[in-house]
Amino acid sequence: MQTDTERLDLRREIKDAASRYDAAAAVKLSRSLLASSVKPSDVMFCASAFAGIADALKDQLKAKRLKTCVVRSVTVEPILPHLSVEAVLSNYVLDLQIGGYGSYVDEMLNPQSALAKFKPDMVLVLLDLEDIAGRLPDLCADGIGAAVEQEIEESVAGIAQLLRSFRSGSSARLLLQGCVVPDLTSLGDVGDANLPHSLTSAVHQLNQRLAALCNSISDCVFFDVDHLAARYGRANWRDARMFLASRLPIAAGAFGIYARGLIRSLSALFRAPRKVLCTDLDNTLWGGVLGEDGPDGIATGTAFPGNCYLEYQMYLKQLSSRGILLAIVSKNNEADVREAFQVRAADLGLSLDTFVATKISWNEKSDSIRELAKELSLGLDSFVFVDDNPVECEAIRQQLPEVAIITAPVQEPWKLVELLAEQSFFDAAVVTDDDVNRLHEYKAQAQRADLASSAGSRDEFLASLGIVCTFLSALQAPLARSVQLLAKTNQFNLTARRHSAAEVEEFASSAGGQAIAIRVRDRFGDAGVVGLALARNEGDSCHIDSLLLSCRVIGRGIETALLAHLAQNAIRAGARWLVGEFIATKKNAPCADFYLEHGFVQQPPSQEVQTDSVFYQLDLTASTPASPHWLTLEGNESNEFAASTAVAS
Amino acid sequence: MSSQQVPPSLREILADIFEISPEQVTPELSAGTIDNWDSFRHLQAILAVEGEYGVQLDPQRIAELTTVSRIQSALEEKGAVL
Repeated sequence: MQTDTERLDLRREIKDAASRYDAAAAVKLSRSLLASSVKPSDVMFCASAFAGIADALKDQLKAKRLKTCVVRSVTVEPILPHLSVEAVLSNYVLDLQIGGYGSYVDEMLNPQSALAKFKPDMVLVLLDLEDIAGRLPDLCADGIGAAVEQEIEESVAGIAQLLRSFRSGSSARLLLQGCVVPDLTSLGDVGDANLPHSLTSAVHQLNQRLAALCNSISDCVFFDVDHLAARYGRANWRDARMFLASRLPIAAGAFGIYARGLIRSLSALFRAPRKVLCTDLDNTLWGGVLGEDGPDGIATGTAFPGNCYLEYQMYLKQLSSRGILLAIVSKNNEADVREAFQVRAADLGLSLDTFVATKISWNEKSDSIRELAKELSLGLDSFVFVDDNPVECEAIRQQLPEVAIITAPVQEPWKLVELLAEQSFFDAAVVTDDDVNRLHEYKAQAQRADLASSAGSRDEFLASLGIVCTFLSALQAPLARSVQLLAKTNQFNLTARRHSAAEVEEFASSAGGQAIAIRVRDRFGDAGVVGLALARNEGDSCHIDSLLLSCRVIGRGIETALLAHLAQNAIRAGARWLVGEFIATKKNAPCADFYLEHGFVQQPPSQEVQTDSVFYQLDLTASTPASPHWLTLEGNESNEFAASTAVAS
Repeated sequence: MSSQQVPPSLREILADIFEISPEQVTPELSAGTIDNWDSFRHLQAILAVEGEYGVQLDPQRIAELTTVSRIQSALEEKGAVL
């Protein structure tokens, strides 16, 4: 616990840091102040300090600035400082605009509204049960009311129309807050639990329907506020006095957890989850030290404390089921580890097969993680490292600052799963088939590497893979996968524009526009949809806005096939010139020469406009890119047709 | 009157909420004298002092607590130790 002197010292240091525009220090100090202070005025203090250094946060910490509209039917103002502070702690800077109480429909749908003019990046829709389904409490009063289902139906239809109409006019990301299940109703706990149409069950059902609705709208996430209320304690979530006097929906004590939960939900719309979890073995995956206790001495299995480790193993296996790759990074003898996995197979929640890679050696763990990143072609910012040894954790923190770290609590092994679940780094609002198949695909990659070392020439090797590329509309990839690729692909991404679903739809549906996805499989496995290209004809030029390929399939000529397909479409739509664009980022150096390698000519930089873009041009009447002979191509129909059928259906 | 007449803890909270220096928080400071004391900051201020001192003020009276001295006496009436 912080003493008051420590607290005041921290506040002074935050003020100093803010006055010299040291964003990193201000954030770090605020984090420690707020970690143990429960004083609302400290949150106000930090909010005020952050407001003064918004530009520094953006420039120094690359915080994402989000123009955010709050559309609401309840009082939110006292919560806003908490929201701003939590946003900064998650590296966002919110420019907030708050709508009027009763005017949310007009704000969202009127093209002349203040919201529309603000051109937000993000809209938070925070409505009360009264506004979403105001008749429910009455209809549920007897617990058997037949009209309840229909009221839910109509309420969801009303919100669906609001969100869909908004989506047709704006590509802003959307967050819809659900309803809190009422705590005390006239039916009492017994009636609420047993009657088919109690208000409790009706609001649960309503929330499920709203979540499904959000899932069907592009760039829209459902914020399950009821889940937070339950975790915090329903009895204390609402302060009836303040709700009735000021329409404040949440008690002051819950502002922090509410703001944290809201920011975590909206993050799913802006950030890709991390992809790899590296776990240590001794006192992390199992209890004890294998080298000392032997395979029979380590703690794992159904009896305490082994079951604490079993819980962690099962949690990891669940992560793996949705595409998070697992790796072992451990200082041990590899033969001992293999023996332990064999001897204790019945007591372990996962087998060695569940891991995409193992780094079991006496090397530095930072070297092992670097090697893994290289082998899996993933950035270090995709990694999470779990280890019980604080020294190992500190070494990774210093040498690989991009890696997220969890220190496993040796004395309290039952807390590890909770520590992991609290973190947002694996949060995803969407899981695609490609995610689920990822482990298999990475394993296939290892087999390919084996083949590569045995085959003769590169062409011979590639031909032996039997690669088949299928072209399809980015809308059918499905669209969620296309958006995910845009958001996550870093190394082979020529412009790294993180388009939203609505923007992809625009490329697909506009005349002379193209939104092509490419699916790749070979004799070892199906890599799924791994590449995307967006382009648009302007006059007799086809401008390639985005072209990207998952790093898993680079180096097999697939990028060339994608370009060739795009060029054919462009010619069909009347283009003479193909214009490529490259915007350098921290990570995309591997594809910097892509257009030069394909016969494009670099254009002199524009004199008038300052830009990071480098443009390249190819005369399609002189030459057209050709797909490599070792690839089999499918689905060659013109992409505009595919797009328009998708829109029509 | 001077800010010395306001208990230091209350002075600090109100300074944070209204984004002014603690020296400006005098007993007669009111919603009428600074722009930052609008209706929403008023609600924030009430919630902050309630949280700090562990009391609940009567909602009927909240709207009237528009000077520092009125907030202070309302808190004292509820038995808050300032």
